[in-house]
Amino acid sequence: MRALLDFLTKYHHWLILIVLEGFSFVLLFQFNHYHNSLWVTTANNVVGRIYAWEENALRFIHLGEVNEALTQRNLTLEQNNEVLSERLALLTHDTTYAERIMAERMTGITLQPAHVITNSVLRRNNFITIDKGEADGILPEMGVICGTGIVGIVYMTSRHYAIVQPLLNSRSNISCRLRGSSYFGYLRWEGGSPLYAVLDDIPRHARFKVGDSVETSGFSSVFPAGIFVGKISAIENSSDGLSYRLKVHLSTDFSRLQNVLVVTQEFHQELHDLENNADSVASL
Amino acid sequence: MLITLIQRLIWMLVLVAAQMLVFNHVHLFGYATPLPFVYLLLMFPLNTEVWMSLLWGFVCGLLTDIGALTPGVGAAALTLTAFIQPPLLKRIVPDDAVEDLTPNYSTLGFFTYARYAAIITGLFVVVYYLVLAFSFHNIVDWAISCASSWLLTWLLCLVFEGFRKTKKKI
Repeated sequence: MRALLDFLTKYHHWLILIVLEGFSFVLLFQFNHYHNSLWVTTANNVVGRIYAWEENALRFIHLGEVNEALTQRNLTLEQNNEVLSERLALLTHDTTYAERIMAERMTGITLQPAHVITNSVLRRNNFITIDKGEADGILPEMGVICGTGIVGIVYMTSRHYAIVQPLLNSRSNISCRLRGSSYFGYLRWEGGSPLYAVLDDIPRHARFKVGDSVETSGFSSVFPAGIFVGKISAIENSSDGLSYRLKVHLSTDFSRLQNVLVVTQEFHQELHDLENNADSVASL
Repeated sequence: MLITLIQRLIWMLVLVAAQMLVFNHVHLFGYATPLPFVYLLLMFPLNTEVWMSLLWGFVCGLLTDIGALTPGVGAAALTLTAFIQPPLLKRIVPDDAVEDLTPNYSTLGFFTYARYAAIITGLFVVVYYLVLAFSFHNIVDWAISCASSWLLTWLLCLVFEGFRKTKKKI
């Protein structure tokens, strides 16, 4: 304490200088539009770079875990592929069938890889920032997926970045169906655990069981059909009793999301404009 | 002591008023704007405490900022200059100078005083324009503004000092 007092006595003029200059610069940035905008721009750039460095470092640290998960996933997919290929060969004797179906589904679709810069799962309305923007052909309303399932929809874009509205957002509403049937409903997240979402509007006469897979329906221009979403973990009746309400265990672990793919469709802009025109005509 | 304080206060108010009403509206050739309110610091005697110099500089700069509608610019520049002024004056005056020596033409001589005023006004004007511009996008214009404003400010400070000396004689 004594040493601190001695220090303050000896260097009190430095302390006064720092306080007065600090106050002057607060006034400068607070009341001068030009300085304020410069400050905000510089601060945003610096914060953006720091986030990018932090993300790069964390991604590097977690590369081992990611590799392990990918290897396991690869192994599972290889086994699935082998089983399915054998069954397909037995059923159709046509080895080009699977390739043809895949080619048909992916016509006009390209997948643009991106890295997650910021992410949140604890809020009611979460958002994700990715490091690809308009310069890379990313536009609002494009779908975003990852190696394990769907992620969300591009919400806003800048030149080099994009904000994604993930499934973990109360405003998200994604058309999904039960794998192996044509029954579809709308997938929503109602807060709480980031591992579970709810699939509403499944008709009463649909037949399914806990553990069945849920995938995208392909009824919009955002996601192609057949992308894995998760598995049914519980079945409930809807509040009006007219349909089922399924609790879905999501395949995507949003809290560990690092690498994503943006689904860019060849005629996305044209389709988007057409849908907007249709909406504006309907509202007249 | 009290008389010195009141005199200094009056000088500060006169310099701030002159800056707000007259000199802020002068833009010679579109570049040179005199900033003679820095003259307040040139009046401080040798035994002025740094903290006192800092407070006077800050208050004077802040009052001028209010008139110029650029809060913080003058305060930041004049506070920093006020921090430099006491040690600079100690280096300029002879070693055997009296403790309460007031810098003017008779105590320092014209050339030494002019050199002292040139350093203080130069430092102040550079810091002022640095804070005001806050970037070097147009460094040539910035340098011209700086140099011309410094020259005008310096000359005005020398004139003020001459005027003060004449008044004392009367």
